[in-house]
Amino acid sequence: MPMNKSYICNRNAKIQQTFLSVLIGVAITLGGCATTKAPEQQQIVNKADPYENVNRKIYIFNDTVDNYVAEPISDAYKWITPQFMQTGVFNFFNNLKTINVVINDLLQAKFKQGAADTGRFALNTTLGLAGFVDVGKSVGLEQNEEDFEQTLAVWGIPQGAYLVIPLLGPSTVRGIPGTLFDTAANPTSYVGMPVQLVYMLNARASAEGALKFIDEAALDPYVFTRESFLQWRNNLATNGKAEASLDLDDELDSDVDSATTKDKIPAVDNKAAPALHLDAEAK
Amino acid sequence: MVLKNMRLAIVFIFCLFSAVNAFAQDGSGATARQVVEKFQTELIAVMKNGKQLGYAGRYDKLNDPVSNSHDLTKIARIVVGKEWEKLSEAQQQKLVDVFIRLSIASYAHNFKDYSGESFVFDSEEETARGGVVVHSRLLIPDDKPVKFDYMLKEKGNSWRIINIIANGVSDLALKRSEYTTILQREGFDALIAKINEKIDNYSKQ
Repeated sequence: MPMNKSYICNRNAKIQQTFLSVLIGVAITLGGCATTKAPEQQQIVNKADPYENVNRKIYIFNDTVDNYVAEPISDAYKWITPQFMQTGVFNFFNNLKTINVVINDLLQAKFKQGAADTGRFALNTTLGLAGFVDVGKSVGLEQNEEDFEQTLAVWGIPQGAYLVIPLLGPSTVRGIPGTLFDTAANPTSYVGMPVQLVYMLNARASAEGALKFIDEAALDPYVFTRESFLQWRNNLATNGKAEASLDLDDELDSDVDSATTKDKIPAVDNKAAPALHLDAEAK
Repeated sequence: MVLKNMRLAIVFIFCLFSAVNAFAQDGSGATARQVVEKFQTELIAVMKNGKQLGYAGRYDKLNDPVSNSHDLTKIARIVVGKEWEKLSEAQQQKLVDVFIRLSIASYAHNFKDYSGESFVFDSEEETARGGVVVHSRLLIPDDKPVKFDYMLKEKGNSWRIINIIANGVSDLALKRSEYTTILQREGFDALIAKINEKIDNYSKQ
C-alpha cells in the first residue's frame, strides 16, 4: 500500500514528459469520441469516468507500449547506470521542477511555503551541485508537491472527466491545461532531445517498483489506476485533508447498514455507487 | 440492624459495580487506538522476522492479528456494494472466505522484511456516524513518511478496522470500485477467479 503513492508520483512525472502535438491531437480526438458515443450502450456509467470505453482502449495501448518499448529500454538503462547516478539524475530533474512548484505556491497564495521551496531550490542548486544532491531533504526541507492542476483546483475550477492520454497516462479535463502550463514552466522542456530522453528513462526507471505493485495488487488494473489517481489528485488539491475520504467511508458504511434494514426490498435506484464520486465532494 | 443491612447492601453494590467495571476493561475495553497499535506492533514484529518466516510463516503469524483487528466480513460486504444483495448466500460466504485469505496474503506479501520502519500515533477523532479515525504515520528511514489513517467501527464491544487510508488513498473505495466493476462487467465467477489468482501470485513470490 505505501507504494501507491510513489507509483502515481512517477506516473505524474511521466505525464509531464509532454509532446504538445500529441496532447492537442488527443484532445480533439477525444472530444470527437465523446460526442459520438451513444450513452445508452454502456450499462453503468461512472460519473467521474464517462469515457470509460475509450479510456480503457487507450490504457491498453499505453500498457502495450510500456511493455514492449519503455520497459525494455528502461531495464537496459537501469542495468548500465549505477544506482547513485539514477538518484542523482532524478534529483537533478526534480530540482528543476521546484521552479514550477514555487510559481504554483505563489499562484495559490501560499507565500510561506513558496519561500521554503525557493530556499530549497537555492540550496540544492548551489551546495547540491546543480541539484544532483538533495541537500534540502537532509536539512529537513521536504519537497512540496504543487502544480498548475492543483492551482486550478484551488481556484475553483471543476475537475471534469477522467481521461487517459496516449503515451502519457491518466489525467482529467482540468489536468490538460495543468500539464500544458507545467510543461511550459519547466526548463527541461527546452533543452532538446538527449536530455529529455534521459529524463524519460529515469522517470520510467524510478516508477518500476510502483508499476510492479499495480500488477501484483490490482484485480482490474484500469480501475485501480483510475481510482488511485483520482484520489491522489484530490488529496493533493485539498492539501492532504482526507475529509472527502472519511465522509466517503461513512457513506459506504451506511449503505451496508441501510441494506440490512430494507433487506428484501429490491434496489430500485441502481446508479453505480454515487458515493464514489470524490470530485463532487472536492468542491 | 437496619443500618448494618444498608451498609452491607452498599458494599455489595459497590463490589458488583467495580466487578462489572473491571470486566469491561478486561474483556472489551480496548479502545480504537489500542486495537490499531496492537496490530501495528504485531505487523512490525512479523516484518522483523520476515525473511526467516518466509511467506507461509508470515501468513500464519498474521492470520490472527489481521482477523482480530479488521472486520473483514463487513469490508467484504462494503466492497461489493449493492451487488451484495444479488449474490446467493453461498456466493456471499465464498466471497467472504476468499476476501479474508486475500487480505492476509497481501499483508504477508507486502510486509516481508524490515529496514527500521516504525509506526507513530498522531491523533484520534470521531466521525459523524460513531466511527473513530486513528491517524498515524509509518516512518521509513531515508524516505518520506506514509500517512496511515485507520477508520474503525464498533463491533459487539470491540473496535475493528474497516478501512485504511494511505496518503489519502482509501483502500475501501479503491477496492469497491474494482470489485463492483468486475461484478458488473464480468460476473461473480470472474471476480473469485481473479482474487484466487492474486492469492496464488502472492504465495509464489
